[in-house]
Amino acid sequence: MALQNEDKLEVRYSSLQPKPKKWVLLMLRLLAFFATAAATVVMGLNKETKTLVVATVGTTPIKATLTAKFQHTPAFVFFVIANGLASIHNLVMIMGDLFGQKLDYKGLRLAMIAILDMMTVALISGGASAAAFMAELGKNGNSHARWNSICDKYKTFCDHGGGALIASFAALILMLIISVMSIIKLLIKPKPDSTTVVP
Amino acid sequence: MIKPKRLLSLLLRFIAFGTTLAAVILMATSHEKGTFFAVSYEAKYTDTPAFKYFVIANAIVTVYGFLVLFLPPGSPIWRLVLALDLVFIMLLISSISAAMAIAQVGKNGNPRAAWLPVCGQITKFCNQVTGALVAGFIALITYIILLLYSIYNFLNPLFEKA
Repeated sequence: MALQNEDKLEVRYSSLQPKPKKWVLLMLRLLAFFATAAATVVMGLNKETKTLVVATVGTTPIKATLTAKFQHTPAFVFFVIANGLASIHNLVMIMGDLFGQKLDYKGLRLAMIAILDMMTVALISGGASAAAFMAELGKNGNSHARWNSICDKYKTFCDHGGGALIASFAALILMLIISVMSIIKLLIKPKPDSTTVVP
Repeated sequence: MIKPKRLLSLLLRFIAFGTTLAAVILMATSHEKGTFFAVSYEAKYTDTPAFKYFVIANAIVTVYGFLVLFLPPGSPIWRLVLALDLVFIMLLISSISAAMAIAQVGKNGNPRAAWLPVCGQITKFCNQVTGALVAGFIALITYIILLLYSIYNFLNPLFEKA
């Protein structure tokens, strides 16, 4: 009699809880993967070469070639690495969702997914904000430190960098939503003996 | 008597509040004036938007940390605190990341863009900014420890079941 009551209680409990549909999470992860991959690739291939005529000896002009690459700035290197790691994370999560539904470790699968999602959000936010402030410095310069802006000389470099930044910020918002959904999935499992949170 | 779990959590939150406050104060009072071969220069934290963002973000987290210190142990608001901890960790990471990117350029310069390092002339300013960044780092690590601790406490019934 007690067992029947418990079963009825649990069935009613689980049907009342709104479970996030599985394909919504998968679609969001796919979008986030595309966004982070786009940001990595666009910034990773960001390079601009300019040839300037420095002097003229007789009739032959002496040219100097200057390049702007993303490796010159540590903030952009961090940006590329962070977005690369985030795309790998998203890829692994998508593969795990599609093919590895049975993989578990002592019932901690959902907790591990939630914690890894939080770590990736932190990583992307760090990379995106560092690159954003470096890009602002490159675009506006800093009169107090006598640093000139470089965007008027390397327009394509700045444009591509801006595009990669936009993709990364979109990925950040998507990853935040995904992280919140993972945490909700973790917390709505019916736990009969958990009362209040111990601070 | 206060339970040891509550004491530990209170201690960690106090450390986090103290370090964010120290970061704000150190960065906001960093100010240096001087002359360098008849060229007068002045360095303040408002010269760079990255440092302004650092001060604002750490000020917000200081106020939040101060309010959470007075939350009674049994109230249901602790679930909201768990979520807000994550949001404020993201804010802290972003502000420290931005400030460090600009501080690195200030210290080492960027020869390809013809940006000269300025830390040689404004040593006191640079040292104080470094101190503020270190305080910000410690605050970030403390908040991460707090978040993991809250998640562990919340999931403890789940672990015992498994």
